[in-house]
Amino acid sequence: MADIAHPVPTVRFQTLRARSARGGEIFRASLKSPTMVGGSIVIILMVLMAVFAPLIIEPNVPDAYQMPRDYTAINAPPGTPGHLLGTTPTGGDVLYGVVWGSRMSMRLSVIVVTVVVVVGVTVGSIAGFVGGWVDEVLMRIVDVVLAIPELILALAIAGILGPSFRNIILALAVSGWTGFARLMRAEVLHVKLEEYVDSARVIGDSRWRIFRKDVLPNSISPIVVLATLSMGKYVLFGATLAFIGLAEAGLTEWGNLVADGQTGIASGRWWTATFGGLMVFLWALSFNLVGDGLRDVLDPRSETR
Amino acid sequence: MQVREYVGRRLFKLPLIMIAMSILIFGISRIGASPIGIYLEHEMTPAEVVELEERFNLNDSLPEQYWAWATGVVRGDLGWSGVSTAPVSDVLWKFTAASMELALVAAAFGIVAGIGLGTYAGSRRDKPGDHITRIIAISGASLPLFWLALLVLIFFYVILGWAPTGRYDVNTWETISHPTGFYTVDALLNGSWTAFGDALSHLWLPALVLAYGAMGPIARIMRSSLVDELEKDYVDAARAKGLPERLVIGRHARRNAMIPTVTVIGHAFGHLLQGSVVIELIFQWPGIGRWIATAVLRGDQATILAFVLITSVIFLTVNLIVDVLYAYLDRRVELGT
Repeated sequence: MADIAHPVPTVRFQTLRARSARGGEIFRASLKSPTMVGGSIVIILMVLMAVFAPLIIEPNVPDAYQMPRDYTAINAPPGTPGHLLGTTPTGGDVLYGVVWGSRMSMRLSVIVVTVVVVVGVTVGSIAGFVGGWVDEVLMRIVDVVLAIPELILALAIAGILGPSFRNIILALAVSGWTGFARLMRAEVLHVKLEEYVDSARVIGDSRWRIFRKDVLPNSISPIVVLATLSMGKYVLFGATLAFIGLAEAGLTEWGNLVADGQTGIASGRWWTATFGGLMVFLWALSFNLVGDGLRDVLDPRSETR
Repeated sequence: MQVREYVGRRLFKLPLIMIAMSILIFGISRIGASPIGIYLEHEMTPAEVVELEERFNLNDSLPEQYWAWATGVVRGDLGWSGVSTAPVSDVLWKFTAASMELALVAAAFGIVAGIGLGTYAGSRRDKPGDHITRIIAISGASLPLFWLALLVLIFFYVILGWAPTGRYDVNTWETISHPTGFYTVDALLNGSWTAFGDALSHLWLPALVLAYGAMGPIARIMRSSLVDELEKDYVDAARAKGLPERLVIGRHARRNAMIPTVTVIGHAFGHLLQGSVVIELIFQWPGIGRWIATAVLRGDQATILAFVLITSVIFLTVNLIVDVLYAYLDRRVELGT
């Protein structure tokens, strides 16, 4: 029914496996796209920043994910000695928030994307591959969850569970899997009709083997693209929820930085909000650029465009 | 299947989805903290707390609690909003109308800009204009709306002083009644152009910011479907008979390219509803978005549940309209069950 409301891509993706046999080709095709190269470089830099955070800036004791407070330098502008990017209205170092905030973003996006991909792909595969009443039941559940825009559902769940970063992660994971389920189901339904699946059945492969060897590898490419785009989306969503105030106060989180800097903006203290938001933007933008480029590389149709 | 039959089925399914959704959200609400948390006060005696618990049927089983809540909702009793210190049903329409006014204007901006931008890019495929449009669309999906809104507010409010925050100027609206809750409409019904101008001056900036996020997906699908259309035979025929390119696109290709574009509008409206929470917060727009943002911080469950219900009613209705419109526009669509 609501299939029309959430169109599945009619574009056929070349299989990732067939392509990965020519992995070098994907890599070379990616190198040709300047947006993809640029996006990848920014992602690598951000990941390095998250991994080596303690080397870049000394962790705060006792909790490294709480902003260190310097009450002698409140609202210091960027360039102040010891506070390269300035400080927040409560004396938190903005650079510290930027660097250690990357760890929060990484934690959030990796956990949420892993959960929604695993749940979504499982549900979508079962629905598409088994079919019948199982499909009907699963898809009606998906319809119900999709009746609420994703971020609104996450906002409500996080609000009900109470403000904390952990609950933000939980809320996003609970509300986000439906997109993957629909996409996976559509792919599986399509692949199921391919001739090689018929021939596998003819030679007597078990259903599980057909699924594992033929269906899954051939329907996973669009999932990879969507997962890449989701890495950016969920950091954006997480920061939005944190900005609203659903993360702990003083947590090194980019959305928190924007919220902290919000009040000072009218009086010209632009830096806290600007740097926090800029990080979220760069993160989301680079994953969107890479995901978008990946779609072009994996989608044979786009080669002619 | 006929379009009429399809609409009938969808209308039949709508309440079913709503009921299932309300069970889901009510179930989630009972996992969290106790719903009476927001009503508790320090001076309360234990007896009063017990009384409060009883009023919320907390001693009954979950299905019984749901039934008590759901029958209340059907009767128009959505509980007591702790953050508004008023019954939810008293304030709900006022807030919803404010949000709908903002969202509808933003949707109009977003659709017009998205279709325009997509047409521009599609007709200049692989030229610089196409690439720039692609970057605008992708950055629209990547910009944190709350951040963009703050930056825009610095520029237009702090520096230029062009855009007032809030929804109206108190003095202008003193004598004006609110029959609909849509301020632009109310102003016109009262015959006051001053009030109408005031409503618009508060409305345009948040609506534009909100529209920016929704514009991207519309522009991209418009671009790709226009590219598809331009490869078709009828376009060659139109060109061959000497029609200027402007008319080939404007009169032929764009119309057909808009059909697939309709499908993302429902999706884009979801973006608008999501984005309106932070936009209303930053522009101090008194809608459901700002209402929920205060409610989630205080665990005000009556408000949260009402918000989710009203949002999904709006979202499902818009999607239904979009689907029906699409089915009507494109008769080739297979109308499933």
